[in-house]
Amino acid sequence: MLKVENLYKNFGNIAAVDGISFEVKRGEVFGLLGPNGAGKSTTISIISTLLPPTEGEIFFEGESIFKNSKNLRQKLGIVPQDIALYPTLTGYENLRFWGNLYGLKGAELKERINEVADIIGLNERLKDKVKKYSGGMKRRLNIGAALLHKPDLLIMDEPTVGIDPQSRSHILDTVLKLSAQGMTIIYTTHYMEEAEELCSRICIMDEGKIIASGTKQELVELVKERTRINIKLDKITGNMPQIFKEIPGVSDAAVLDDTVTLFGENGDILLAEIISRISEEKSKIRSLDIQKPDLEAVFLHLTGKALRD
Amino acid sequence: MKVLRIIVKDLKIVLSDRQALIITLLMPLVLMTILSMALKGSFMSSDDTGMEKIPVALVKQYDKGADSEIFVKTLEERLKINISGDEVNPEEMFFDDFLGNPEVSKLIDYRVEEENRAKDLLNEGEISAIIILPDKYIYDMKISLLTPFRNNADLKVLTHPDRPVAGEIVTSLMEAYTNTMSSVIIGKNVLIESASANDIGGDGFDNIDEIMEGMADLVAGTNVNIDNVTVEGRRSIKSSEYYAAAMMTMFLLFAAGQGGRMLLEEKDNQTYQRMVIADISKTHILAGKFIVIFLIASLQIFIMLAYSHFALKVKWGNMIPILVLSTASAFSVAGLGIFIASLTYRAGNYRLANAFENVIIQVMAFVGGSFFPIDVMPEVIRRMSFISLNGVALKAYLKIIVGYNLADILKHVSILAITGILLTLIGVVIFNKGVSENA
Repeated sequence: MLKVENLYKNFGNIAAVDGISFEVKRGEVFGLLGPNGAGKSTTISIISTLLPPTEGEIFFEGESIFKNSKNLRQKLGIVPQDIALYPTLTGYENLRFWGNLYGLKGAELKERINEVADIIGLNERLKDKVKKYSGGMKRRLNIGAALLHKPDLLIMDEPTVGIDPQSRSHILDTVLKLSAQGMTIIYTTHYMEEAEELCSRICIMDEGKIIASGTKQELVELVKERTRINIKLDKITGNMPQIFKEIPGVSDAAVLDDTVTLFGENGDILLAEIISRISEEKSKIRSLDIQKPDLEAVFLHLTGKALRD
Repeated sequence: MKVLRIIVKDLKIVLSDRQALIITLLMPLVLMTILSMALKGSFMSSDDTGMEKIPVALVKQYDKGADSEIFVKTLEERLKINISGDEVNPEEMFFDDFLGNPEVSKLIDYRVEEENRAKDLLNEGEISAIIILPDKYIYDMKISLLTPFRNNADLKVLTHPDRPVAGEIVTSLMEAYTNTMSSVIIGKNVLIESASANDIGGDGFDNIDEIMEGMADLVAGTNVNIDNVTVEGRRSIKSSEYYAAAMMTMFLLFAAGQGGRMLLEEKDNQTYQRMVIADISKTHILAGKFIVIFLIASLQIFIMLAYSHFALKVKWGNMIPILVLSTASAFSVAGLGIFIASLTYRAGNYRLANAFENVIIQVMAFVGGSFFPIDVMPEVIRRMSFISLNGVALKAYLKIIVGYNLADILKHVSILAITGILLTLIGVVIFNKGVSENA
């Protein structure tokens, strides 16, 4: 459905997108996973025809979107990372305006607004002004505005940033429902749990490049020997990552806030040595858990840093 | 059709913004009411502080030599008195004693002109008023001052309707002069009557100059009248009319300021990007904003015209020129709004829009005459008023109020329309450049 070929985007000397290629198949939820600044949003902006690339080509249904953007724009729904709504208008007025812009009117528009309100769970609040909505409700309405014209391709750029768990859960359910209805979705996130839960295929991006891609299973295969150990400590000393990396059997170590994440081939065996080193550093363990390999481990393995750094 | 949707949406947003409504609609109504009431009495009074001299033409309809001869002959024939009357010189009293007075000369800069030439100068706006000393003025004044009789000597003041304050200052000065002269004449009559009653006879005239000077404080009716007319029979402007037009034209600029924020607000809200993805062209987006600003300005004009008419009893004059001028004013404001909006969009911050609202509007209001009539301002400012949209519109509205027709304000309408078109075109170029640079 969508093919990205050798895409580059430079801002001055900075390569925001550095020669990426991928393909999105009809009906799949395609994830773009990466930390902030990885180039996900720039990629999305280029696909949405908001930004021209420095180099490269994108084909939608076999046709270059740079030669003919109309076909893509009519079939594309975009959920931007920021809330792209009018706060002083009601939820209903917002949906009606965006529906109007896609050519919907009269009874058809009204019906579609009701359907979308059902999907995003805002039927009872559509008469309220958007500025009175909670952050989560705004995010849901932001999604609703992109669904009115029943797009073939929906792009969601970090749709769960900064919202409460309940709204987040609602949004994830919505994505799954839309996917079940056959909608093609490109989902960008820096939450690996969301990518794991939603996406059939995932591209992991870092510093403008795709560093790995495939299904979750395929990606985890890259680090299948690695067990993940998360240890929450009462204090972190500056050289802790290095100290842990020196333990035989530990392949990687990273620190985020008060948590040390270690990777090794056999977590159970490594534990005794790890606890000993923590004790030597005069730190205390607050919690500890051992996990099987996941996308975080893949990212750490490939880049040497944690996904949320 | 999509433009219409954008317009409806923007109008809803603007009309739901209470603070913007207060600035664009309520504040001008309050200000025009306060200024109309507060300056009702003083609007026409002079204030010479920092004021330029008012250019005035003096027209002598009389023939000094002939008047003096007639005076001598009349006295000989009617009163059998043989005097030259040279001891009283009304021309010298007017030109040297009155106009030469330091206080008066601070206000008036006069030149003597032939009548038709003076009227041409007035119509061209080169001078603010004409003072006409009528036929037989010298003769009538000598009769009034030197004999027991009183002859009317009607001074005429012709003023320009576009310069009501200057006209009123000249009129007031002439009134002061004629009041003084009337006092002198009455004093003379009292003297003559007293001399006659006491049988002093001709001796009473020996000290007439001295007594006339002492009688100048007398206050009484006058036989020397001021006939105040404006050119071509136009009427003068009232304070309520002036400030209704002044506040309206000034606050129209706030519609441009409000419109100037719209594009960047759309961009900041990400709704601009969403519209582009929805395949709405830049032209549609700009056209929508232009029409919204035009409609806001039109709504302002309609409300202010209606309010000032019903609440302040302002007579706006012929509705057709008002309609044409209002449309041109709203159009130029929309052009200005698009120009500011494009610059603001390109800059990526609201500094320019803020500067426009907080500084530029105030300067334009001052230069355009919204705070104080520009006919008492220095010549430089009077000329600068044509670079302010509100100044051009204000001049044209005042012309309609005093009775000018559509043909007389076409120059102003053209300036407004052309400015609107130019600003819009420049705005479009800046916006397109800004969009491609951002891309």
